[in-house]
Amino acid sequence: MALKSKLAIAAGKSSYWFLHNVMHGGTSLPGKITLAIDPDVLKELAKDYEIVIVTGTNGKTLTTALTVKVLKQKYPEILTNPSGSNMKQGIVSTFLSAKKVKNGKKIAVLETDEANVPIISQYVVPTAFVLTNIFRDQLDRFGEIYTTYNKILQGIKMHPQAKIIANGDEPLFHNLQDLPNQVVYFGFDNQPDQDQKAPANTDGVLCPKCNHILHYYSRSYGNLGKYFCPHCGFERPELTYRMNAIVDQTPQSSTVKIDDHEFTLHIGGTYNIYNALAAYSVGAEFNLLPHEITKALGADDKNIFGRQEVVHVGDKDVTIILVKNPVGLDQVLQMIKTDKNPFSLAFLLNANYADGIDTSWIWDGSFEELPFDHIPSVLTGGERYKDITFRMRVAGVPEEHFAQRPDLKEAVNYIKQMPTKHVYVLATYTAMLQLRKMLADEGYIKGGME
Amino acid sequence: MQYHLNLAHLYGDLLNTYSDIGNILVLKYYAKQMDTDIDVQIISLDDDFDPDKFDFALFGGGQDYEQTIVSKNLPNKAAAIKKFINDDKPMLAVCGGYQLLGQYYIGADGKKIPGVGALPHRTETQINNRFIGNIRIKNEETGEEYHGFENHNGVTFLGEGERPLGKVIEGHGNNGQDGSEGAIYKNVFGTYFHGPVLARNGNLAKRFLLLALKKKYPDADFSQQEALEIKPTY
Repeated sequence: MALKSKLAIAAGKSSYWFLHNVMHGGTSLPGKITLAIDPDVLKELAKDYEIVIVTGTNGKTLTTALTVKVLKQKYPEILTNPSGSNMKQGIVSTFLSAKKVKNGKKIAVLETDEANVPIISQYVVPTAFVLTNIFRDQLDRFGEIYTTYNKILQGIKMHPQAKIIANGDEPLFHNLQDLPNQVVYFGFDNQPDQDQKAPANTDGVLCPKCNHILHYYSRSYGNLGKYFCPHCGFERPELTYRMNAIVDQTPQSSTVKIDDHEFTLHIGGTYNIYNALAAYSVGAEFNLLPHEITKALGADDKNIFGRQEVVHVGDKDVTIILVKNPVGLDQVLQMIKTDKNPFSLAFLLNANYADGIDTSWIWDGSFEELPFDHIPSVLTGGERYKDITFRMRVAGVPEEHFAQRPDLKEAVNYIKQMPTKHVYVLATYTAMLQLRKMLADEGYIKGGME
Repeated sequence: MQYHLNLAHLYGDLLNTYSDIGNILVLKYYAKQMDTDIDVQIISLDDDFDPDKFDFALFGGGQDYEQTIVSKNLPNKAAAIKKFINDDKPMLAVCGGYQLLGQYYIGADGKKIPGVGALPHRTETQINNRFIGNIRIKNEETGEEYHGFENHNGVTFLGEGERPLGKVIEGHGNNGQDGSEGAIYKNVFGTYFHGPVLARNGNLAKRFLLLALKKKYPDADFSQQEALEIKPTY
């Protein structure tokens, strides 16, 4: 090891130790210190690891967490980065925090920001790339899905030996087969074939080969599905791992079969089934047996699924869900629809920078499909309550069930009076922070703000 | 419903970036209150556009890549789109659709991309800049104020026979220089407004619907429709 790297790692490790043990914190600062001394240190830090890079627009965090959980069935020590530390500094910090592995494989599963894939790939030699999906995000709406894909591709091209484990239902990922890499696809196979197109407001439906509009035999959501091009014969690649039945879905769980192995995932949402399927595929590629994998995926682990928060406000179970982009919003609406009991609904809309300053995206959510006869109370609030109020009106919310409370305190008071036990609160980022603070101040969230 | 309108959604499955699909939901919402139902048909790459089959049209904006594909397909439909416009049928063109109706715009790679040429405006590009933010304009003829959200790199300059949709009160508009936003040409409304434009501006939606209704049913009495009160939504 070069002296510079040794020094850099020593400085980084001691700052990590100090921050972690004395300050009880420490995220990207040790990485920053280490990189300042030796910009190439990641090469040294990562050299003995088998590295799995998890990337894509949605689902990176949960896919990473589930993959770690699965691989731990066989390999007890897995290094991984905390959610959000998915750029270079955070990843360097992660390696600095690593415990010594006495024997067996050293594996690191790294959630990686899409634009950081080519950067990280310069330093580490990945065993596998796991690709979830590519959607348009709220804040970079003029950043194209094709640009994002090319960034990821740039990283993969540095490592022709790496295996690619990709979502086969994503048309953009079809061309990965043209690379020298081994490609393994996962996808959904739970519906009978029926020729259809995606809804008009779906992104990325051009055939990557001939630029005609793609058709689907079956769709899951967004532009994901069993696609084909009637014009040139382009079609979804052969799947190696398939989700072949959704047995039951509630907003809190999905019971599914992957390759005929049934288990219950303790988090709702069709999009999360994809994350579990991705983790299953990685596990299988690391030679775990199906029952070992489904045992890990089926465990109700609050550390992993804690992001979708249920707060008890009086006698109400209030589920707070962050909404930030069109595909995400639409998936949340699909998820709450699976509630078998009547429920109430609130939507808190802000338009600060972190929320996305253009509120147009609320029109891409299929509010029209909500079962309003099953939703006796609807509330809108937040700084831009007028926009979401009109959206709900157009969707057909009956006026007698509809209230507006721009002020969050009044909104919370209104929620306490809602007629159902279940209340779903959809909130944009800053609205969610404001709501959480208010609930913490009133003592409904223990421990205050995280 | 007593009245029926057919809406052509030009390249609706490709030019769909800024939730402009909301314009259709809003048109249906007000149309219902005007005793009118609307049939929507997407006219995409492989479809013919028969201008006589439609009463009004919507032309939205998309990502650069999709817009390039559309611009290559446009010559197949240019004559039909021109006929539709020259027949005085109403069309709402937003952002990319607005640019594509004109003479040309500049693509992401700096190349000039020809439009339909139905309207005389042209669209140039700004280097490393976009106009992003809330915008407010005033329509000089009606005195109405319109609200929206703009997000565009292109700068558009109106040509002979076009007048702006409004004068900029707040924001940038067509080009950030001459205080104009959007274009009116015959019964075509061009604009950079998202929001979507008709969700924020119900009075514009009403005006658009009335134009289509009167064109299709020249002898009908629409005084009730004209009396429809539009409540502010923004």
